[in-house]
Amino acid sequence: MSEKSLTTKEYIYTTEDPFFSPLTIQMGPQHPSTHGVLKLNLVLEGEKIIDLEPEIGFLHRGLEKLAESMNYAQVLPLTDRLDYISAMNNNTGYALVVERLLGIEPPPRGKYLRTMVCELARIASHLLWLATHALDIGAMTVFLYCFREREKILDFFEMICGARLTVSYPRIGGVRVDVEEKVLEEIYNFIPYMYEKIEEYEGLLSQNRIWLDRTVGVGVISAEEAIAYGLTGPSLRGSGVAYDIRKHFPYDAYPELDFEVPVGKNGDTYDRYWCRLQEMRQSLRIIKQCIEKMPDGPVCAEVSPDLDMQVFKRAFRAEAWGEKTFIAFLNEGVELVPKGELYSAVEGAKGELGFYLVSDGSGRPYRLHIRAPSYVHISALPKLSRGHMVADLVAIIGTLDIVMGECDR
Amino acid sequence: MRRNPYYLLFRDLLGGLLITLKTLFRKPVTVEYPRERVKVYPSFRGRHALVRDPETGDARCVACLKCVQVCPSRCIDVKYEIDEKTGARIMTQYNIEALRCIYCGYCEEVCPVGAIVLTEYFEYSVRTREEAFFDKEKLLKNWDEFIAKYTEKVYTNKFWNLKGIPDVLKPAPKRKQLEVPVKRG
Repeated sequence: MSEKSLTTKEYIYTTEDPFFSPLTIQMGPQHPSTHGVLKLNLVLEGEKIIDLEPEIGFLHRGLEKLAESMNYAQVLPLTDRLDYISAMNNNTGYALVVERLLGIEPPPRGKYLRTMVCELARIASHLLWLATHALDIGAMTVFLYCFREREKILDFFEMICGARLTVSYPRIGGVRVDVEEKVLEEIYNFIPYMYEKIEEYEGLLSQNRIWLDRTVGVGVISAEEAIAYGLTGPSLRGSGVAYDIRKHFPYDAYPELDFEVPVGKNGDTYDRYWCRLQEMRQSLRIIKQCIEKMPDGPVCAEVSPDLDMQVFKRAFRAEAWGEKTFIAFLNEGVELVPKGELYSAVEGAKGELGFYLVSDGSGRPYRLHIRAPSYVHISALPKLSRGHMVADLVAIIGTLDIVMGECDR
Repeated sequence: MRRNPYYLLFRDLLGGLLITLKTLFRKPVTVEYPRERVKVYPSFRGRHALVRDPETGDARCVACLKCVQVCPSRCIDVKYEIDEKTGARIMTQYNIEALRCIYCGYCEEVCPVGAIVLTEYFEYSVRTREEAFFDKEKLLKNWDEFIAKYTEKVYTNKFWNLKGIPDVLKPAPKRKQLEVPVKRG
């Protein structure tokens, strides 16, 4: 409390207006443009933001703790609920960390399928981002157009695995079920259609004078600062750093595919918008290559654990104690999975989605920490929005692409 | 940008308006829900049902408790008795709390005999919480309701016949094609 009043006092002396007294207002948690339940405590001078403090935790469900009471396969549906608009990426990230712990290599068809659905989910996520970001700034038409295409991608997910948002499609060691050739063909026919539609969005926004006024020079962050704040994904690439986990630490089928990493220049809202649109094009390119190169064979490794895998090993040592008494030692010194700790990350739709896993040898994770990109991006919000108007804050929240389900976990 | 002479020509705005004008003459994509229906694709994970075996007229469940063990939200509860003559388990109670279920489909994937299934039926909003607690009779009724509207001759599910998964990972009865013939009458 005392700390806060000190900062306020400082501002009183630094502003030019001698009668200035800071206005403190709360934005959210029930605000249409905070994308969920984000609460922002703003300190305003007129309409200018001089300080900002994000408050998070309204959507906390204790996923990390919940994961400690379930076996490795059961945790996977929980990861759907992190970043619920690109659930495939979360599932793949979690499946990947367990695969690396257990030393499982998925078969090639499983890898390609997982890559394909990840890129579809990335497009769906970017479409929802573009829709809401444009709606926040005032372009209603783009919102409707984006949802039209997103619906098609969700239909593909429904055809593939029977669910639209909370898919739980990947599995430790591959994917849960094969995709029919008919569906692959439909996705292949969707690619040229989607290219056309991205042209439409660009035609509506990229040259539009209102869009340029609202985005160019808003929320500028330099490359050094972006790295210092820990930004990843398109938010970092908009500042001109070509860091992409798909290129630098490739997983699944990405090393065999050909794609580029679009990089912005100025690090403002417009460049991040441009980066994401280019990324959608690259994703389409990846999907096309995936379907063309799709190998045959099984989709899941034979050594992958069962869904109902044991938490403890059933074998126990029984010792006779006296004539009729036995003492059974359950799970003594038996390792079901290798002991150890590891960190593995995937390029989620928002940024680097990392899973830090501690294993104690039993069938359930001892600790699972999730490095969520949205959580890190919110920490850069004060830096980005200081000195801007409140109306620009809406654009800045939109450009960071925050999902509170991932931030609060 | 404002010093640009093209700024007064409104080329950017007119270009955008041209796109919206073109869209005006396209077929609408909106589905007017109660009158029109969205197509639900096969193996959609909707309302739960216990499969009524057309031969015996009862549930197929063998009370192996695998679904209870695998459920991430622990919403399934199964009670069983042991037949004294044969030693086989007989399922007596099968309860699902549909409000807790997260529709991951793990139960239908591990079920060795294809007894529990998530049907393609999705319109089952309820007015009280009690209606969303499915017991054995209600689950069998769900199946009857679903299969009455089913048009194909044989019902099968993607998660019963796991395509592309090696046989080692499947329970033994699932290595063959698992399906239910639909009776018409």
